[in-house]
Amino acid sequence: MSLSHSSSAQLTPPSGYWLLRSKHMSLLLDRQAIRRNILLSVALLLIGILSLGVGTLSLSPKEVVLALIGQGDSMTQFVVNELRLNRLLAGIYTGAAFSIAGCLMQTVARNRLATPGIIGIDNAAMAFAVASVVGVGIGLAPSAMALTGAASATALAFIIGGGSGTRGYRFIVAGLAIGSVSAAVSQLLLSQVHIDTANEAYPWTVGSLSARPEEQIPWMGWITLVGMVVSIFLCQRFQLMAFSDSVMTALGRTPNRLRFSAVAISVVLTGFAVALAGPVGLVALVGPEMARTFAKHRGLPLVSSALCGAIVMVLADFAGRTLLSPIEIPVGVVTAVVGGPYLLWILIRKPKRSTL
Amino acid sequence: MSSSTQAPLGTQSITLKHDDHVIIDGLDVTFPAGKVTAIVGPNGCGKSTLLNGLSRVHLPSSGHILLNGKDIHSMPAKQVAKKLALLPQETSAPDGITVRELIRFGRHPHQSLFKQWGMDDRTAIEFALQAANLESLGDRLLDTLSGGQRQRAWIAMSIAQETPLLLLDEPTSALDLGHQIEVFDLIRELAAAGKTIIMVVHDLAMAARYADHLIAMKGGEIVAQGSPKQVITPEILESLYGVHCDLLADPHTGAPILVNVRRAHDSGASKAAAPSDKKQAELAL
Repeated sequence: MSLSHSSSAQLTPPSGYWLLRSKHMSLLLDRQAIRRNILLSVALLLIGILSLGVGTLSLSPKEVVLALIGQGDSMTQFVVNELRLNRLLAGIYTGAAFSIAGCLMQTVARNRLATPGIIGIDNAAMAFAVASVVGVGIGLAPSAMALTGAASATALAFIIGGGSGTRGYRFIVAGLAIGSVSAAVSQLLLSQVHIDTANEAYPWTVGSLSARPEEQIPWMGWITLVGMVVSIFLCQRFQLMAFSDSVMTALGRTPNRLRFSAVAISVVLTGFAVALAGPVGLVALVGPEMARTFAKHRGLPLVSSALCGAIVMVLADFAGRTLLSPIEIPVGVVTAVVGGPYLLWILIRKPKRSTL
Repeated sequence: MSSSTQAPLGTQSITLKHDDHVIIDGLDVTFPAGKVTAIVGPNGCGKSTLLNGLSRVHLPSSGHILLNGKDIHSMPAKQVAKKLALLPQETSAPDGITVRELIRFGRHPHQSLFKQWGMDDRTAIEFALQAANLESLGDRLLDTLSGGQRQRAWIAMSIAQETPLLLLDEPTSALDLGHQIEVFDLIRELAAAGKTIIMVVHDLAMAARYADHLIAMKGGEIVAQGSPKQVITPEILESLYGVHCDLLADPHTGAPILVNVRRAHDSGASKAAAPSDKKQAELAL
């Protein structure tokens, strides 16, 4: 065997990748992931257009598209752009945020069950936000309170679950406990206030896009975008979390630092998403799972998770508005009803190549 | 892969603890450049802890680990990863990963966000595949390989890391005899190419045959170090393992071969010759 480096002039990328190269940089693009994400984006766009057409005033996809680009009659434009678009965007942003958060948390814990919803972050965020809404405690805005709640719950779950030994069920069980206490606190707070206030807050506590405060939506968009971009930037190193701590260290990463950054992104995204849409935690479980079903390629399907999460959220809201129309089913209820069986199906079906 | 005459890696009175339990207390040790060093000793002697300390997996509670004369914990993690690779005993890879993909992870310390793929990466990966004799298995799923092939794939990942130092924790612990030889031969080739190798080895016979330098540990301390001939003596073996034995010289290499191993408090060789004694069968290879 010769132990000298073989020299070859042609630089070919690893199979399955495109190489984007200039003088100062070289990027690898996962061909399958790009194809997949284009398809998912198209699907999201179509579902979005369909959902914009549904309501008291029924619109054809063509009318919706015309209204979106500023054509058509002013009534249609008003309904689409002023009334319905915000709700759709809220669904897309929060769905993507929940799902990225879920994907990251699962990666940190090396456990598919360890999504923010399951480990109590959603409920804690909600409890804090409810406290803010019903006027108990500090006068912080609900988003800030939700974020505080999310961060506290995570810290608590980490402390109880045993510090760096985060994988495994101790962490999850600790989170479950924190989650149920938080849910109870929310209920308790709601029972203390006037029935009208409680009624108003109710759909949001089960997860709903109808109670959304309009001015928060662009903010949510920016936060989701930043969260996604940062995660993609860090994706290379986040992938190492699939290895043991020893291998991570040997490859030049500090495991605790990696975990901390992934958890931090996850907590921020979850906190803001809960403040807007309530605890729709199942999206964080179903979104990444869907992405992995499509992604036969290994790695961390962050963008696909975001797109799948958005699709799930928009579809669930769509279904909630149409199934029992004119009665509206909160999106959290729909995701629970649909997401539960979906997870069971994932458990039952034959396991394929997967990342976790 | 260059070797320097100065010891590339060593410790300065390091103390390593598991919780409050002191495993290694104020240990000084250096490892010769360009040689294969095997750390041997009975179970619980602290050999794996020492290796984990050297590779930054286990943080020392006091003392320094010196990499080319500099404190390893004062250097950026990524810089260290370009100098020192580790193959831990327990390895788990993402499911559904191919051999080539696993090896590609070895390039991580050399890559960054805007430098994801270059000629050096490709060359290093091809070289690693070739060195570990895995060229025909590059696109196979890691899970479908035999134990020996999988271990060579992990070593190939360390080779792709292109470090002058390679640390291995019991690289052959789960392998049968043929695969053990395969892995040790590969390690010898890497040393011949100039790498400094430090490995924890359970099997004394293998350590004697494949290492240039032995470090024998017991109770967190170094009992003896030197060439296999210097370290493997009946006296040292008795103090390490509590066994008596006779030594022969390997007709090919001159490395010591242990025969007739028996517990120190047994008298006579006849008892220990029982074929059911697994330990003996191993040592008497």
